Order: sequence, then C-alpha cells, then structure tokens
Amino acid sequence: MRLENIGVVAKREYLLRVKSKGFWIGTLVLPLFIVALSVLPTLFLTKSRTDHQVVVVDETGRIGQEFAANPNGAQPQKEGEEGKDQRERVARFEVEVEAPAADREAQRAALDRRVLAEEIDSWVWIGEGVLRGDPVEYHARSVSNFMTQEVLEDRLSELVRRTRLTEAGYDPDRVGELSGSIDLKTVRISEEGSRAEGGLGSVAFAYILFFLLYTMMMLWGQQVMNGVLEEKGSRIVEVVLSSIQPFELMMGKLTGICLAGLTQFVIWLGTMMLVTAPGMLAAMATLPEELVLPTVTLGMVLNYILLFVLGFFVYATMYAAIGSAFNNLQEAQQVASVAVFFLVVPFMIMFQIINDPNSTLAVVTSLIPPFTPMLMTLRVSLDMPPLWQLLLGYVLTIAFIWGMVWVCARIYRVGILMYGKKPTLQEIWRWVRYA
Amino acid sequence: MNPMTPTLELREVRKRYGDFAAVDGVSLAVPPGTIYGLLGPNGAGKTSTIRMIMNITAPDSGEVHLFGHPRRPEDLRRIGYLPEERGLYRKMTVIDQLLFLGEIRGLKRRELLPRIERWLERVGLAEWGKKKVEELSKGMQQKVQLVGTVLHEPDLLILDEPFSGLDPLNQELFKELLVDYKQQGKSVVLSTHGMELAERMCEHICLIFKGRAVLAGELRQIKREVAGNTYRLVADGDLDRLPQVPGVEQASVQNGVVKLMLRPEAEGPEVLREMVQFLRVHEFRSEEPELEQIFLKAVRDAA
Repeated sequence: MRLENIGVVAKREYLLRVKSKGFWIGTLVLPLFIVALSVLPTLFLTKSRTDHQVVVVDETGRIGQEFAANPNGAQPQKEGEEGKDQRERVARFEVEVEAPAADREAQRAALDRRVLAEEIDSWVWIGEGVLRGDPVEYHARSVSNFMTQEVLEDRLSELVRRTRLTEAGYDPDRVGELSGSIDLKTVRISEEGSRAEGGLGSVAFAYILFFLLYTMMMLWGQQVMNGVLEEKGSRIVEVVLSSIQPFELMMGKLTGICLAGLTQFVIWLGTMMLVTAPGMLAAMATLPEELVLPTVTLGMVLNYILLFVLGFFVYATMYAAIGSAFNNLQEAQQVASVAVFFLVVPFMIMFQIINDPNSTLAVVTSLIPPFTPMLMTLRVSLDMPPLWQLLLGYVLTIAFIWGMVWVCARIYRVGILMYGKKPTLQEIWRWVRYA
Repeated sequence: MNPMTPTLELREVRKRYGDFAAVDGVSLAVPPGTIYGLLGPNGAGKTSTIRMIMNITAPDSGEVHLFGHPRRPEDLRRIGYLPEERGLYRKMTVIDQLLFLGEIRGLKRRELLPRIERWLERVGLAEWGKKKVEELSKGMQQKVQLVGTVLHEPDLLILDEPFSGLDPLNQELFKELLVDYKQQGKSVVLSTHGMELAERMCEHICLIFKGRAVLAGELRQIKREVAGNTYRLVADGDLDRLPQVPGVEQASVQNGVVKLMLRPEAEGPEVLREMVQFLRVHEFRSEEPELEQIFLKAVRDAA
C-alpha cells in the first residue's frame, strides 16, 4: 500500500467537491437558515405578545380585581424563574373587569360579539364556586393557543390559592416561604479536583456530538455513497485500478470526501460562533451563580475531536459499503437507512450509560466499534474512562474502519466488473472472499 | 534486459467464473518492439486475459511475467492501459484529469504539466485544457483518453479494442502513435476482433477462442504453417498432371487460375522447375492466405 496513492485520490475527491458550486451553496445556506431561524421567531413573538385583551366577569368580586391590578404576576417566583421570560413572550394580558349583569345570557352574547368583532381576544367567566374547585370558563375564537391558556390558568390558580389561604386565616406570602422546595447542588469529583457542575450540563456535549454526527451523516453519507457509485459508472475505474490498489482508491475516496465534509463543518462552526458570540457572551454575563457550566479540559476536547472524526469515518464506511455493492442510486438508497440504525442504537442505550457511566454495559458497548464514537464521547463527558479503555476504543475503531474499507474495496473491485446485475447477499459475500 | 526477452509473457493463465472457463490456459509472449495482436471473437476471453495482466482480476493459476520477471506491482506503472469500457471523470477539467492519471502512476505535478501541454498541443486540444471533460465532444474525449494512456511514457501499451467507436481522424492518430511506439522499441498489445486491422498492423498475433490460445506466433510464420505454401499459377498445358508433381498437395483450377497448395516441406522454386517441363507458365507467385481465413480455419479445428 502506498500512502501517496491514497493522497492523490483524496486530493482529487476533496478538490472536486470543494471547487463545486453545490458545496458552497450548501455551506452558506445552512448558517443563513440558522440565523433566520433564531432571529425571526423572536421578532414575531415580540410583536404578538401585548395583544391578549381579556374581559373577566367575576362573580366572586375579588379575583377579577386582583387579576386586573396585576395581570402578569407579582415578582417572579423562584421556581418559575426560567419560565417567566418565556411566558411573558407568549402572553401579556390586558384585563378589563365586568361585574356580572342581571341578564347573564345577554351579557354572554354581548361578550361573544365583542370577540367576534375582534375588540377583545377572549373573555373569562369566574363563577362563584371557583374557590371550591369549580372550573373557570374561557371563551375565545381559537382555543388551541394552549400556551396562553396555560399561563392564564397558572395565573388564576395562584390568585385562587392566595384567596383560599387568606380566607382560611393564613398569610399567603408566609405560606409560600415555608413551603418552598430545595435544589440539589451537584458536585463532580475528578482527578483535577471537585467542582460544582450542572448534572445535565456534562451530557450536553455528548448530545451535541450525537446530533452533529447525525446531521453530518444525513448530509454526507449520501455523498460518500454517490462518490463510490459514480466511480463505477464513470468506467475510468479500470484504468485507475490498473495503477493503484482498490484499497488505496477506497481509502483515498473516503478520506477526500470526509475532509470536504469536515471543511464544511468547520466553516459552519466558525460562522455560528461568530454569529452567536455576542449573544453567548451576554448570556454568560447574566448567568445566575448557581448554574455552573461543565468543565471542559484540553484532554476532553482532544477526545471529542478525535471521536468526531472517527465517527464520521465509521458511518461513511457503511455508506461506502452500500455504494460499492450496488449499481445505481435507486438500488443503494433502499438499503442506505441501515447505516442510520447504527446511529440510533447508541442513542437508545444513552440514558442507561448516563445513569452509570462505568457500568459493564457502558464499558462493553463503548468498545464496540460502530458505537464507540458516540458512547465514548458520552463517557468522556461524564467521567473520563481509564486510559486503556480509551486507547482500546480508538484502536478497535480504527481497525474497524480499516476492515470496512478493505471489505468495500473487495466488493468494489469485483462489483465494477459485473455490470448491470443487482447482487445478492450471497454474491457479495463471495466477492469479499474472492481474491 | 536482454533485447530478446519478451516484454510480456503469459504462462498457462487460467480464470474461471463459476462453471465458465473465461480463460483456459493461455500462454503467449510479446517480443519487444512489436505490435502484438490479441485476436478473437467477442467473448473469447481477450478482455479477461488483459484484466489479469493488469491485475484487475487475479488468475486462478498461471503466471504473468512483465519486462523479464514475474509481475511486480510497480511494473503496472510502466504500462499504458486503455480498457474497452472507456471513461473519464466528467466533472474534472482536462488538465486536472490528466494530472490525476499521471499522479497515480507515481509522477510529480511539475514533470507532468509540461508533458500535458505538449500532448494537448499534439492532439490539437491546447485550447481545451481548462474545460471540463463533459464540455468536450466525444472525439475530443477520445483524444484525452489517448493522452492519458501514454502520458507516463509507458514501455508497454495495452489497448483493448482501441478503434471501436473512434472517428477516422482519431483512428489515424492512434495508428501513428502505435507505429511511433514500435519504432522506439516498445511493445504494443492490441486486442481486437477486426481481422483486417490486425493483418495490417500486427507482426505477431495470438488467436483466442473459447478461452484458449488456438494460434500464437509471428503472423508470417503462422500464415505459412497454417495454410501451407499457397501459390497462384496461371499456365497453359496439361494442368491435370499437376497433382503428380512432387511437393504438390492440392491443385484446384478456377477460371483458368490454379490455386496450388504445397506440402509444408516443399519449396516453391523447385516445384516451379518441375512444372515448367510440361507447362508454359505465365504467372507463379505465392499468395498469402488472409488472416480471416486462418482464423476461421483455426476456430473450426478447435471446435
């Protein structure tokens, strides 16, 4: 095997892709899309949030008044802290209180007309029995705005609760203080020393890697498959294979395509960091003290990068294998989803591993090559595995990639010479063993 | 390397696909400085043989020798191979394409660029180097393929049906190139089912039929051996006495012209001396059997 041959093929594949218009369109469209996605909803929400005008008819004569006096809640409650901002975005109420009229039916009809005339968004009827648990009526043109309804429900419940407490002779504020819940402050112990950390924060990296790998495979798996198929179709492959070995061709191809994929990925990451950096810095500055970001050491970062690259290769080889066994895109696509299966399995056992990152299950599954990139990332995030496990994982994964490329090359070499026929599994197996 | 050492030698090469013997013990030797014809009908095993030479498939048994020794991987870089199924990377520019083909044969970019320029000039594609292959006409693509085959200055050319689908201009270009190669003392293996072409271009041939080499060697010799000594005779006199002349195997008269087939050991001039004793000979000359006839005879004999 000659490395320079792999290099020549990889260079061709890489330049061919990076020089194409499609690559740059694909590379630039996604960041624009993300920017649009993050800016537009905020714009729409800010625009729509002051809109909710509600008329409250209150038979108790107390709750409606209090609601009107303070429609969007008092000082944020401790537990509602994160949610409050979100809620205000969904609905800010403007409340108008009406006393119940003698002719209730006429009053209801009048309110309905106001809703239909779009003078108000909704009206609410608070019956006398509300303190005993009777429901409150909500009338509006659309009743599918469940987020607004939930905010309304919470707000009214709070008012009803306070009224009940006051009637029973308690001070609602005092009761709130006394019945507050506690938070669990998590501290992660590691060789570098203990540090307070968010429990879920450390899993985030594994999650992010999973989704990145998944996205990359969705986008580039097809490219790998096409690249292999195209080579067969071009018929130049016989000339190429007379100068270099099939393994070199396959390895070069895979390397070139993967590098193009990684180039795109780095560009994305770069633009996203640039776009989100001001917001992120602002957010970091306002983060409450209790929320601690997970510590990321240099070792972890190196592992993440390595695992990501290996992960990309592992799944790319699967697409390459499919591409090499079939003659055209239609045939290959029918089986292409098999590769995704290998991404889903680690996702399914993820939670068991999060619960106990050093269990036998975690150790064993994280050493099975197609799963290593994802599960090892998870373990690295949670609790750095022993060095021997890491190294073994890397060795096995590289061996797996090597083996896959070898198998692909064999299937491919025979496959190109058998034009036109869709192979059976048995035949593919024969091709692998065939020298 | 000894000047007589064959450039390419096959020894009892066999290849089976399931129950089908694609190549069934082919042996041949391509001397240096010749154009060697690998002949046979479609499906005879020519392409399978070539693929084994090029290590695209492995023979089940037998040996492939190149340049005087058992084939080594690096020997393949000294071969210019043009397969029957031809193609180029459509999305690449002509120059990139040729660079790639040169680089996989171990050449460096800086030595390739001037060569590519010279070649494109020679085949009249100097203006097209920066264009993508898919923008070229079919004839132009054929020229690019040709340049790609010879760019690394191989010592042996193996061309599988090179003239199929070529326009007349490119055919001339190919022929010129083959003659060029021969004159440089390099060898060319030319696989074809076109007998006429082979007759004109090849000094050595190997006839392949049903995976077997039914005939191999120097074309002149083969013609002699297979058809014996064939002569054309125009004469007056007692033509019926001809079969009694020593050395004559067969004499057939058609429209006053006699086709004489002599025994293999017989010599034309001696037979002529005998004949002039009772005939007035106007014309006596050896007549070569056509390759086509030899081929058909060989196929009949083999079947």
